[in-house]
Amino acid sequence: MKTYDVIRRAGRSLKQAKIRTLLTSLAIGVGAFTITLSLAAGEGGRQYTEKLVAANADTQSLIVTPKAQQGPGQAQDAPREYGAGPEQAADLSYLSQTDIDKIQAISGVEKVTPTYSISAQYVTREGQKKYQAAIDTKADRANLDIVAGSVPHDTLLDNQVIIPEDYLGILGFKQPGDAIGKTITLHFMQDETYTIAAVDKKPENALIYRPSIRLSINESKRLYDLSSKGTPEYGQFFMVNVTVATSVDAQAVQDQIKGKGYDVLSARDIQATLFQFIDIVQWGTAGFGALAILASIFGIINTQYISVLERTQQIGLMKALGMRSRDVAALFRYEAAWIGFLGGAIGTGLAFTAGMILNPIIAEALGLGNGTNLLVFQPLVVTGLIASLILIAIIAGYFPARKAAKLDPIEALRTE
Amino acid sequence: MIEVKNVSKTYGKKHNAFVALKNINFTIPDGASVAIVGKSGSGKSTLMHAMSGLDRPEQGEILVDGKDILKLKQKAVDKFRANSIGFIFQSFFVQPNESCYDNVGLPLEIANISATKRRTRIETALAAVELSDKIKSKAKNLSGGQKQRLAIARAIVNEPRILFADEPTGNLDSETGDLIIKLLFNYNKQKSTTLVIVTHDDDLAAQCDIRIYVKDGHIIKMEGVK
Repeated sequence: MKTYDVIRRAGRSLKQAKIRTLLTSLAIGVGAFTITLSLAAGEGGRQYTEKLVAANADTQSLIVTPKAQQGPGQAQDAPREYGAGPEQAADLSYLSQTDIDKIQAISGVEKVTPTYSISAQYVTREGQKKYQAAIDTKADRANLDIVAGSVPHDTLLDNQVIIPEDYLGILGFKQPGDAIGKTITLHFMQDETYTIAAVDKKPENALIYRPSIRLSINESKRLYDLSSKGTPEYGQFFMVNVTVATSVDAQAVQDQIKGKGYDVLSARDIQATLFQFIDIVQWGTAGFGALAILASIFGIINTQYISVLERTQQIGLMKALGMRSRDVAALFRYEAAWIGFLGGAIGTGLAFTAGMILNPIIAEALGLGNGTNLLVFQPLVVTGLIASLILIAIIAGYFPARKAAKLDPIEALRTE
Repeated sequence: MIEVKNVSKTYGKKHNAFVALKNINFTIPDGASVAIVGKSGSGKSTLMHAMSGLDRPEQGEILVDGKDILKLKQKAVDKFRANSIGFIFQSFFVQPNESCYDNVGLPLEIANISATKRRTRIETALAAVELSDKIKSKAKNLSGGQKQRLAIARAIVNEPRILFADEPTGNLDSETGDLIIKLLFNYNKQKSTTLVIVTHDDDLAAQCDIRIYVKDGHIIKMEGVK
C-alpha cells in the first residue's frame, strides 16, 4: 500500500471520530501550549535582558574591586576557635593609585576611572530653598536620556552639571529648557557654583536609575580629594571603572585584570546571572508542560486501543483483502501521528494567539516600553516542538498499532 | 485450476482439539461455479478460508494454478489475496462512513495501484453493479441489496481470478438475493472467473456447476465433477 494512501485513510478514520480525536489532541495541546509559552517567555526574557544590558551597561566597561580578603592560607569554611589565632577582621580593602596604575598598564585598557563617593549638604538656587541632593559622576559612556541642553563629545566641563527632570520643580524651573545655562549652587565644604548644561530623565530601558546631579570626572575627583584629605580614605577607592578600548575583547582584559589579583564584574557577568535565572524559570514551567504531555500519552494509547476495538471488522476486512500487517500498523501509527500533529498545532496556535494578546498587556503592566515583547516565538522552536510531539504520539501509538497488526482476519470477520 | 489435496485442519490442542476439516480432496477447473454446501459448523467456511489463503491448514496442499499457497510466506499470501482473490461476505462489511468510491477503491489501494489508474477501474466496477449514480454516496445510506452490490463491486474491481462468496444472500430478502446471485453468475460467465459460493441454500447450490456437500469436516457428496 502506498504511504500516501495510508496517511489519507488515517486522516479519514480520525475525521469519523471527530470529537474523540479533538479531545485526545487537546490533552497534548495543553502541554504544547505550556511549553510554547514558557519557551517564548524564556526567549523574550533573554532578548529583553540583552536589550537592558546593552542599554544600561557598556560591554567595554568593567568594574574592578579589591579581591575579597582572605588571610594567608586561611581558605576555610569552619569558624575558628576564639583565641586560637588572630581575629578575623572585617577587612575593608581599597584600591589605591598604585592599583590604578597597575590596571592602567594592561594593554587594551583605555581609561581607569575611580568611583568617587561624594555627597553635597544641599543644593539651591537664588531665591529657592535648600534641598538635599544626590551627587554622581558623569561617566564617559553613560547612557543618559537628555531632554534639554547638550553634552558635546559626551564630556562635561568642570563647571557644568546635568540635572534630572525630577529636580526642575525644587529649583524653580517650569520647563527643562528654562534650566539650561542657569547656575545652581551646591554646598560641600563650601559653596560651589555650576552651570546647568543639560537635563536628563529616566531612560526607557533603564534597570537602575537614580535622579542625581552629575558632575564631571575631574570635578568629582577634586571634591573627593577635598573632602577626604587628611582621612584614611584619601586616595583610596572601593572600586574603579575600567574602560576597555573598543577594538579589544573585553573578556581578555577582564581575565588579565583578574590575573593581577582583583575582582572584576562586567556587563556580561550580570547578563549571564540574569540568563541563568531566566533559564531556571523557563525550564521549570516547561517541565509542567512536559508532565501534561506525559499524561496525554496515556490518552493517546487509550484512544487508539478503543479505536482498534471499534474497528476490528474494518481491520479484518483490510487484512482479508491482502493488506499487510506492516501497513495496518502503519495506518494506526499515522493516526497517532495525526493526533500528535493536531495537538501540537492547536497548542502552539493557541499559545501564539495568547502571546499576541498578552504582549501589549504585559509591556503596559510592567512598563517595559513600546515594542518590547516579553513573549517571543521562534518558528524553528515551534516546528521542532510539533515534530517531537508527532514522534511522541507515534511512540504512544506503538502498542495499539501492534494489536491491530496482529489481529486474525478470520476472528475479526466472524460476526456470529 | 484449484486443487485441494488431503487438507486437514484442527482447532485447539490435545483434549480440546476440534477437527474442522479432515482429509479434503477435490479439483475445481478454471471458470467453474462451485457451491460448498453445509450446515453451520460443518466446516464449509473453514474450507473457504483455507482455499483463499486466509487460514492455514496444518496438513495437505492447496494448489492454485499449480502453486501451493500453503507453502507461501505471509507476504506472498497477502499479495496473492490482493491480486487474485475477491471476497463477498454475508454481512457485506462495507465501510458505512466511507463513500462508495472509497469502499471500492480499498482493494486497489492495497494492491498498490496509483490513484489515477484507480478511478477508471472503480467506475467500471460500480457500473457493473449498477451503482454508478451512488459513487459519492456514503455506504451507510444504501439499502441492504445496494450494500451487497457495492461489496461485489469491491470484490471484482481488481479483476480477481477467483471470487469467494460466503452466504452472499444470507442477509437479503429472496428478491434482492436473486438479483445478487444473477450478478455473480453473470460475472462468472462473462469473465470466466472461478466462483466459489459457500451456502446452506440448496436452490442456490443447484445453479452451480459443481456442488460439494460438507458435514463435520468431511466431504459427503460431490456433484458435477467430471
